Amino acid sequence: MEPAISLQGVRKTYPDGREAVRGVSLEVAPGEVFGFLGPNGAGKTSTIKMMLGFFPPTAGRVSILGGDPCEPATRRRLGYMPETAWYYGYLTVRELLRFYGDLCNLSRDVSRRRSEELIRLVSLEDAAARGTPLKNFSKGMLQRAGIAQALLHDPELLILDEPLTGLDPLARIQLRDIIRMLKEQGKTVFFSSHELSEAELVCDRVAILKDGAVAWCGPVKDMAGDGGGNLERIFLKMIGGGTAPREAAHA
Amino acid sequence: MRDSCQRVAAVARLSVLELYRRKDLFAALLLAAVILVPLSAFNLFGVEGMSRYLCEVSLLLIWIFSIAVGLAVAGRQFPVEFESRTIYPLLSKPVRRGELLLGKYLGALTASASALLVFYLCHLLLMLAKGGPWNGLVLAQGVLLHLEFMMILTAVGLAGSLWLTPSANLTVGALTAAGMLLFGEKLAAFAQTGPMPGAALAALVHLLVPHFEFFDIRLQIVHSWEPVAAGVVLLVTAYAVAYTAFVLGIASWLLGRKKL
Repeated sequence: MEPAISLQGVRKTYPDGREAVRGVSLEVAPGEVFGFLGPNGAGKTSTIKMMLGFFPPTAGRVSILGGDPCEPATRRRLGYMPETAWYYGYLTVRELLRFYGDLCNLSRDVSRRRSEELIRLVSLEDAAARGTPLKNFSKGMLQRAGIAQALLHDPELLILDEPLTGLDPLARIQLRDIIRMLKEQGKTVFFSSHELSEAELVCDRVAILKDGAVAWCGPVKDMAGDGGGNLERIFLKMIGGGTAPREAAHA
Repeated sequence: MRDSCQRVAAVARLSVLELYRRKDLFAALLLAAVILVPLSAFNLFGVEGMSRYLCEVSLLLIWIFSIAVGLAVAGRQFPVEFESRTIYPLLSKPVRRGELLLGKYLGALTASASALLVFYLCHLLLMLAKGGPWNGLVLAQGVLLHLEFMMILTAVGLAGSLWLTPSANLTVGALTAAGMLLFGEKLAAFAQTGPMPGAALAALVHLLVPHFEFFDIRLQIVHSWEPVAAGVVLLVTAYAVAYTAFVLGIASWLLGRKKL
């Protein structure tokens, strides 16, 4: 079966000479929930931007759902939620979804029906009913609006960049449930995160990125047998962060 | 094609809605009041020729305000998307950068052209009230050519915003527009008769910069001269379309190279 995401020796060197991504190769199978982990500056966002076709890799090959992400036909099949986007503060959530629906060429009826479903799914019914402009949304509400816009056109692949940022515990549980629901529907979910515990809870596989290269990649269930311990320990070992604070305190 | 038009229309509609919701268009109405109120209160004391003077001042204000509105509206379209990072979810949708550019251009042009038509409506009311010079065909030609001027100015403002900082873009755009309106004809004359190497430089500048002076027929309106020949209007219109396409081509190249 063709992988949902295929990165082969992907490199990105910016014009200032900074090498953000250094030969990343990985494949994500359809229907898989994949966690992309790494410290700040590891190259996660640069890799995601190449997966979205925002810029081409300096070297290597990026294939999304078997196609070129620069092509609108490929992007029609994927949904993306950025780490921080303030969206359009003067719009309501319904207007925002209608706008993105138009960009995805959804018919007015489909756009309206999907918007209402998603507003319910991300619990923004009150804000939608009051017609609250997005500029008055909290960060967590904006993240939820971001999830709704990413799911609007029912994509096969969902790419989430730090989706847990700014979410309260209830919203985190809700997002976890949404990811599980998408997995049950056979969708592929790729998300970057610093939240190791969340990745452990929802991911089938994870990759740990360090200095622009994959330091570790494997199934979550294999983690206990790979050097011992949980994802946090493997993460710290891979990024060279030393022992976990609790271990340091015991020493 | 139909899908592409739907996406371009969505972006254009959003640009107009933004200007309305952010109350930017109310600033244009305020400028219109500046044209209408003080000038209508001006007492002519029956002095002959004073109504022409009023007409001239009113048209001058319209040109100044249209440059300010056109550059401000066009110049903020892309910087706002980049600052708020809304460009990322936008480009993750099946929209081409060319469609985004065209949508932004049409949105900005619609907003600026609407403001311009309000300004001319105020001018018309003023002239009717004060018995100023009145030649419907010449005024219609003036409005048409001014709209064509806005076509180029909006494209220049949009392209500049992808290369310069907002303040630099506004300054360069305003200086180019004012400079060409005031000295466009003199530049051509200097390029032909001036000493070298200044003349060569003037010829190069004359070749590259937009000839905004082609679109200014205020003198014809103020003095109720004969309408401009249809062939000339057609030629100037063709120039406006070609130059706008040229500038939008540059903007498209700049947007393609823009760091995301």
